[in-house]
Amino acid sequence: MTVTTQKTTQPAQASAEVKAIHRKMLRRRRLSKGFTYLVAILILLWIVVPIWFIGSMALTTPANVRAYPKGVLPFIEFSLETMRFFLSSEGIVPGIINSVTVAVITLVLSTIIAAPAGYAISRYIFKGRDTYRLSVLMVRAFPIVVLAIPLVVVFINFGIFDSIYSLALMHTALTLPTTILIIGSVFASVPYELEEAAKVFGCTPIQAFRQVVLPLVLPGIAAAAIFTFVMSWNEVFAASVLTIQNRTLPAQVFNTLSQSSQAYQFAGAFFMLIPSMIFIFFIRRYLFNMWGQVSK
Amino acid sequence: MSTNQQARQKKKYNWAPYVLILPSLVYLAVFFAWPMVRGLTLAVWNDEANLILQVEASQNSDEAGKLPQGTAVAILDQQGNEVPVDELDEGNLQTEIWYQITGLGTDGAPISGWVPEARIRVREENDAGTPTGGSVRTKLGSDADPLTTIYAAENEASEIVGQLEARTEVTIDGLTVLEVWYLVRGVDEDGTTVEGWSPSRYIQVFEEGTNGRVDRGNSGALTSEYVQKMVNDRFFWPALGTTLLLMVLIIPIQFILAIIMALVIQANLKGQGLFLYVFAIPLAASDLAVGIVWFSIFTTNGYLNTILQGLGIIDAPVTYLSAETRYWIIIAIVLAEVWRATSIVMVIVVSGLQAISSEVLEAAELFGAGLWQRLRHVILPLLKPSLQVALILRTILALQVFAVVVALSGGDIVTVLARETYRQYFDFRNLNVAASFAGFILLISMVSAVFYLRTIRTQEEVGA
Repeated sequence: MTVTTQKTTQPAQASAEVKAIHRKMLRRRRLSKGFTYLVAILILLWIVVPIWFIGSMALTTPANVRAYPKGVLPFIEFSLETMRFFLSSEGIVPGIINSVTVAVITLVLSTIIAAPAGYAISRYIFKGRDTYRLSVLMVRAFPIVVLAIPLVVVFINFGIFDSIYSLALMHTALTLPTTILIIGSVFASVPYELEEAAKVFGCTPIQAFRQVVLPLVLPGIAAAAIFTFVMSWNEVFAASVLTIQNRTLPAQVFNTLSQSSQAYQFAGAFFMLIPSMIFIFFIRRYLFNMWGQVSK
Repeated sequence: MSTNQQARQKKKYNWAPYVLILPSLVYLAVFFAWPMVRGLTLAVWNDEANLILQVEASQNSDEAGKLPQGTAVAILDQQGNEVPVDELDEGNLQTEIWYQITGLGTDGAPISGWVPEARIRVREENDAGTPTGGSVRTKLGSDADPLTTIYAAENEASEIVGQLEARTEVTIDGLTVLEVWYLVRGVDEDGTTVEGWSPSRYIQVFEEGTNGRVDRGNSGALTSEYVQKMVNDRFFWPALGTTLLLMVLIIPIQFILAIIMALVIQANLKGQGLFLYVFAIPLAASDLAVGIVWFSIFTTNGYLNTILQGLGIIDAPVTYLSAETRYWIIIAIVLAEVWRATSIVMVIVVSGLQAISSEVLEAAELFGAGLWQRLRHVILPLLKPSLQVALILRTILALQVFAVVVALSGGDIVTVLARETYRQYFDFRNLNVAASFAGFILLISMVSAVFYLRTIRTQEEVGA
């Protein structure tokens, strides 16, 4: 399906039989192209419509949120009242600050620890490399639920329970494997020959790394870091288990879910979705780079 | 990279990769492996299973025997023993304070020695609150000895150094906190009667003071108690059933949809960038937020009812998310999970597709293979490794569905294993049973991963 049209028109002196096959293929391709567009648009709607719904609820008046039948923007009144109500609810602003703090600490810790490891697994052949990769993969596949409960015990013993810093330590443990594998594949996408060439032209290994490799991998590492941020921002189970007073935003929304109004819930859901929409926009180019290698 | 180069690198830098991966290994050992081992032992290990009784009322004496937690015991005798300061704030601790005093005896000679707290009324304290002086209390009761006995050491078994009259002024030179030890007798699991000394904090004493039970032990043992509690929990079987049902429903839908999405992405449509962006949005969406999004659709005054009523299919709003309409909750959870988690499968499938050379597909097309035939005989077999990885990943993640379920069902009508782990921890404060649930989830995850790896490999071998 990825064939370009130039190739199919190439054989000029082909026999009538081959030409007929080509015509058939072209017709079929046009037909299937139309069908593909239809499918693409249907899937697009499947993803966009729920976001449109929740956006409509978050950006209208609380009266419209309670109303039935429900309307959607732009056919109902646009208002920031619901959002303002959510943001002024108890624990939301501190929750946002906590969430951002935890996510930033996680991002920094995770990237600092993962970058050298990612470099090692992509650039060196060493004994135990496969074992290391495999164990990192296994850690990544471990259920969060399984890790959260044990960590509670350890953090209580150390007296660092209910702190956003201990939560950041845990989020780093959760995101580290993914970050290592993503950064590894980012380094792997820069050919070793470039580094070699720089050395041939007189760079020291460190110079070669700083002036040749680093500029090429920085965008990829930034994408990995953004992904780490989003994973931490979204994480709700460990955040609810490990914190009581210092809740992050998802933990706060989760724990007040049963007592809260629909306006609060819908505005909260939309607010939590915003980073994902922004960040995916910036890292969409790197998605396949990142995950393709991770999965192998 | 040629083998030559690799060999050279290996020789030159063989220490470097280990230094580079060291921080990550240390981090994962400290914050992953160690807590994991510690935490999972909680599920099968009772720290307080047995109480070790001592031959004498001292921690250093020999073991007289063991009594399991909960055993009823008879209290035969009591004795005070000095407690280390760091153990003073332990619960259920019965203490006695002894004062070291000096006062004038009946013959006018000063007497120095130890006396229990109950015999002295404290009258002076220094700034830190430590008693420095007081007087001997009057003994009540006509037949009581009016004199208070002073001992050489801080227990009643020690030598008597003299006696003081009531209301004698004394200086308090020091004090010791003693823990009460009990000489107890009880019957252990084998039916043997065990007698020995134990500190008071392990024994719960009943009102009459001569009977008690072993409140908690001081030595651990393997136990299946928590696993049994988990299995007997009234939510266990519903949670397991729902979790497996969700897995069976969600995963096939996800894979079909993901393959379709991947083929669309690979079709080089106009606006491909937009399609890719939108298809990938759920990849980073919070599961709690997605749960609420679908709640806004399925709630009684929500969008689904609005649309159905607008189309004239229903006359009045239908209640979907209630205990009577459990299947609707399941449908809503399935849709929400498919919406949220299909993107990751799509991304893995697309990277798999990119690895298939376009010549192979072209050849298949040239020989007249239709889309379905190409999919069935060329694309899917070549995608097998990618699909295997995606399948393992999705199964493990499907075992952890949590926030979506709570957002759509309130967490009680329809419940899943992760939700029960949370309930045991958060509502019941039962870490051990929560750890059992966590261990159980881990067990299913690993079993299913091994299952996938085996079955898919077997097929390949059969095919070859």
